[in-house]
Amino acid sequence: MGNENIRLVVLSAALLFAVVITFVIYFVILYRARQLKNKQEQDEREAVYRQEILKTQVEIQEQTLEHISKEIHDNITQVLSFVKLSLGSISNTLDEDKKAKVKESRELVAQTITDLRDLSKSMSFEHIIQMGLLKTLEKEVERINKSDLVKVSLLTEGQTYSLGEQRELVLFRILQEGINNALKYANAKHFKISLQYQADLFTLTLEDDGSGFSPDLLNNKSGSGLRNMKNRAVLIGGDATIESAPGAGCRINVALNPFKQLYADGVPHPNSLS
Amino acid sequence: MSSITIIYLIILATVFAIGMVRYRRLTIPFRILTFSVLLTLFWQALSIVFAVRYRNNAFTYHFECLTAYIFYTLTYFYLFRSRTIKAGLLATLISVFVLFLINILFIQRPADKQFPTYIYLLTNGLYVIFALLLYKQMLQYPLNLNIVRQSSFWFNTAIIAFSTLMFINLGFLNYYALHNWGKDIIYYFWNGNLYLFNILICVSLLTDNKNNSVQYG
Repeated sequence: MGNENIRLVVLSAALLFAVVITFVIYFVILYRARQLKNKQEQDEREAVYRQEILKTQVEIQEQTLEHISKEIHDNITQVLSFVKLSLGSISNTLDEDKKAKVKESRELVAQTITDLRDLSKSMSFEHIIQMGLLKTLEKEVERINKSDLVKVSLLTEGQTYSLGEQRELVLFRILQEGINNALKYANAKHFKISLQYQADLFTLTLEDDGSGFSPDLLNNKSGSGLRNMKNRAVLIGGDATIESAPGAGCRINVALNPFKQLYADGVPHPNSLS
Repeated sequence: MSSITIIYLIILATVFAIGMVRYRRLTIPFRILTFSVLLTLFWQALSIVFAVRYRNNAFTYHFECLTAYIFYTLTYFYLFRSRTIKAGLLATLISVFVLFLINILFIQRPADKQFPTYIYLLTNGLYVIFALLLYKQMLQYPLNLNIVRQSSFWFNTAIIAFSTLMFINLGFLNYYALHNWGKDIIYYFWNGNLYLFNILICVSLLTDNKNNSVQYG
């Protein structure tokens, strides 16, 4: 066997080896691409699942709030109205001193009835949908300011437009959560609500001058309310950013495209172009 | 005994030792693989004894080929998910055993110092098919684990590299039988292939982990 034959044998062996190596490398590249695709699909499935869960939670919460709202309106305020009437009817039989006390009690009951009716309205999604976001906010600001717990101001910029019932309801619930946090945890004295209506962007900004918190709170168990706000924003196709630092108050910004689809499951927003 | 053979025996012993040290952490297919290394070591040692004492160790290669096929097929049996493929693997076990008997008794008899090239060709062809099927399965059900940390990838790569290179080995062997030339090339190439195969098997035993195997799907 000559040198040429030896070269041929070695070359063919080397070639076969190279083919095997190339095949294995190609497989590794293909496998990595498949892993990536699989991971993306899994993430998408999880995102849709999380959104479905959140949607269900919001629906259940709304039903519960609606139920409480109706109970307050149809039951508690009715009973209180009856109490008020009863007080009015017995006051005629009393002397002047006691009459004044009964009158005072009647006024307190009347105030409670008004407060409860307002509370019932802020809980009822039917009412919020009927009034629209802006009017509901104005009523809510008025109601809270009456309590003297915190000074709330409302600022609107741009030509207002409807964001659709679901979105406005969710935005209102985000606002309620924000006010609740400012009162309950931050001891805020001032709370500012800003609504910016731009052609392709709506922004809701909530600012308070409370005690603030460390950004790490967002990752803790106790920050579930804040995370819930972010999740709700995602649910309506928006994005919420929460900025805070100890002693520096809190700023929550919710931005959304008014023409983006409402839910990831394909239910279109009433304002959606597609 | 040449240094190449000694190195090969050391590699086999090391791979088996690693398999035994990690035995509790290994999944069933890689436990089977560990014992296949022990068996290879046994046949290799026996072939040396027979070569020295009787000048004929052909029968050890016949049996080594068969037992290796049984162990590797069982390893694949546990790695595959498809019941059809599993049934196919068991069917090939029976078929290969029957063909092994026919070959050893009538065609390439060890008494005539015949190397079992037919069975080698058959089993290595089947290994290539198994390896390709396992690669396909891996693509269908990728794990959330880096591929270089997946034992099945290393085992499969060892099998596909060894089996495809084995065809060229057998070609060399055939050329040697006809022209009585190339003994050294065949020897080095053959052992180089065995070294590579066992090193890759060693990597597969080192990367195998019971906890990772549950991530299939």
